[in-house]
Amino acid sequence: MRIDPNMVPEILSDLQQSQVSLNTALQQVSTGKSVNVPSDNPSAAAEMVQNTIETGDVDQYTQNVTTTLSSVQSASSALSTVVTSLTQAVSLGTEGANGTNSSANLQAMATQVQGIITSVVSMANSSVSGSYLFGGTSTATPYTADSASPTGYTYNGNNDTNSVAVGDQMTVQVNLPGSQIFSNSSNNVLGSLSSLVTALQSGNSASIAKATTAVDSAVNYISQQQAFYSNAETQLTSQQTTLQQDTVTLSTQANNLIGVNEATAATNLSQAETDNSAALAAVAKVLPNSLLNYLEPPS
Amino acid sequence: MGGLSTSLLIGAQALDATQGALDATSNNIANANTAGYTREVAQFSENGENQSGDEVTGGGVTLDGLQSVRDELLNIQIQQQTSLQASVNAQSSSLQQVQTSFTTSGDDIASTLTAFSSSLAQLSANPSSSATRQSVLASGQNLADAFNSTANALTTAQSDADQQVTQTVAQINSLSQQIAQLNGQLAQLPAGQDGGTTEDQRDELVQQLSGLTGISITQGSDGETITTGSGTPLVMGAQSFNLQITTGTGGFQQVLDSNGTNITTSIQGGTLGGAIQIRDQMIPGFLSQLNTLASQFATSFNAAQAQGYDSNGDAGANLFSVPSNSNDAAAGISVAISNVSQIAASSDGSSGSNGNVANLSAALTNTLPSGATPANAYADLVFQVGNATSNASTQSTAIGQNLTQLTTQQGAVSAVSIDEETTNLLRYQTAYEAASRIVSTVQALDNAALNMGSSTSF
Repeated sequence: MRIDPNMVPEILSDLQQSQVSLNTALQQVSTGKSVNVPSDNPSAAAEMVQNTIETGDVDQYTQNVTTTLSSVQSASSALSTVVTSLTQAVSLGTEGANGTNSSANLQAMATQVQGIITSVVSMANSSVSGSYLFGGTSTATPYTADSASPTGYTYNGNNDTNSVAVGDQMTVQVNLPGSQIFSNSSNNVLGSLSSLVTALQSGNSASIAKATTAVDSAVNYISQQQAFYSNAETQLTSQQTTLQQDTVTLSTQANNLIGVNEATAATNLSQAETDNSAALAAVAKVLPNSLLNYLEPPS
Repeated sequence: MGGLSTSLLIGAQALDATQGALDATSNNIANANTAGYTREVAQFSENGENQSGDEVTGGGVTLDGLQSVRDELLNIQIQQQTSLQASVNAQSSSLQQVQTSFTTSGDDIASTLTAFSSSLAQLSANPSSSATRQSVLASGQNLADAFNSTANALTTAQSDADQQVTQTVAQINSLSQQIAQLNGQLAQLPAGQDGGTTEDQRDELVQQLSGLTGISITQGSDGETITTGSGTPLVMGAQSFNLQITTGTGGFQQVLDSNGTNITTSIQGGTLGGAIQIRDQMIPGFLSQLNTLASQFATSFNAAQAQGYDSNGDAGANLFSVPSNSNDAAAGISVAISNVSQIAASSDGSSGSNGNVANLSAALTNTLPSGATPANAYADLVFQVGNATSNASTQSTAIGQNLTQLTTQQGAVSAVSIDEETTNLLRYQTAYEAASRIVSTVQALDNAALNMGSSTSF
């Protein structure tokens, strides 16, 4: 049977194939990816859409945990300062109630407690990056001086709370409104302090003692509120660990979907190079061969 | 009994015949690299015997002609595969361009959707920060831009395919005319005579035509009849029928036969079939899904906005605006608000609330009326585009291999082998030399016979 004398088309097709393999191997090594365009692996490319979005979300949730942790920790430390101030007020009240103080002393104590009120209010107005920690969801300054109010301050915030997204189905409540912490009707921190001021100014030991007891119970109350923040802190810290694991899982998944094993890619590249050289060498050997090479030139 | 003159005649005929064979060989060598050239072989036949009394002597040789060696069946198979390959190649090259828009690049829909989702999560942690709100607005804008540019890439590919239709039809008409002309020349040949180079030229043009559209060929009494795969005549003998182009209702070029009937949907194969498939089937499918996604996503996100309040305590206004014509949704989606305060993060009307951010984020992960989440609907589209591209290129490779195989078979029958021609050259050289020797020998013998008995010659 006659065979095709023209080897060029087949040679070209072989060369092209080895060139394609070489390009693919080179691209995989240089990009570190086996899927560079959707047609390389349509289903992996489709799965990567979800992976990309989830990875972006997990990154953002991780940042949210960091910023939220900082605000929760600030709130918790503000409340610790408040507890210290209140404890100071309790000592002053206890001292004022022992009946041995001169009126001038009591007035001085009243002024000191007044100072404690100012410091507690400044804690209640503390903010992190422009947001008030104890204003509910309002952006107004939580406590401002108000002569009409019995405590001397009025609450401008609201009773709402914010929950921050730190996971796909997970939010963590990050604040308690100031109205609950500092001016709650049953445990009014500011109220108890301002009663103590009034009692100290009046000089009545019994009322001073009573007011002091109220401040003392306010100390306990604030400590209870602190538990909310330490609880939030625990939740956030544990979520941080979960998110770190998610990051690893997602990047492993991404690598499985579109990544390339470096050793395999390098082997493929060197294989493709060898194939390509072999194909070229074969062409160089075969093409010039012809019967004419072996005939004597005509004399 | 034949005389010396018979031998002289046989020698002269042999010289003639061998000369013809040498012509064939030299023409074969000359056209070894001509596309579509079919090798020619010299056809010799023995002349009738001379009988004289009881003696029978051979009558020499005649060159009947040169015969092109071709296999019509293989040619037809090659034409069919060429049509298929041109069709998938047209699809493949268009899809290769389209799929770059669906590749993760930073400004594709997946990347911008990711950034938008992240910006909303960030808003959850810091609802009153204007920088955070700005980033929501900016990433919403980027997402809308990504929808626009993806839709544009699709419509660009569609109009490129449309232009290809116009150009291809012009090429088909030009080829049909040339083929008809060659058919006319072939029809002039006496019956039974080989078409030779004219037939080679025609076959080469038919081969080119099959790359432009799927064709079907029948041999009739008046030459070849070529129709499209669905039967629209292109060439009948020496007559050609031009296809026409007219702008259709969708703004795209429609193909009409010579009678003005619209045959666009029935065209298959070849560059024309591939371009029509891309323009009228594949891209409209992708575009429609993209438009549905853009429109439903915008509606869903706007509904989430409406559930909350902006920084000023007003009910959330639409963040995305889509054109009323849903066919333009992806191309025309835009961000409708310009002020960062208008992002409805708040659930209670106070500016520090993040209560509605959860609803905004949920709009990105909730199931749309289409039955999939926005990410899944887009992922599905990525899969379809990737799959179509991959299929087209796999098919192209497979058909390419098939075609190489068929071309090799055709080459085995019809291609010029330099080695074979060189061998023939030597063969005919020897034959010519031998025939010349017959002539010179007979001449010497004639001289000898004429000078018989004369002493002057010695």
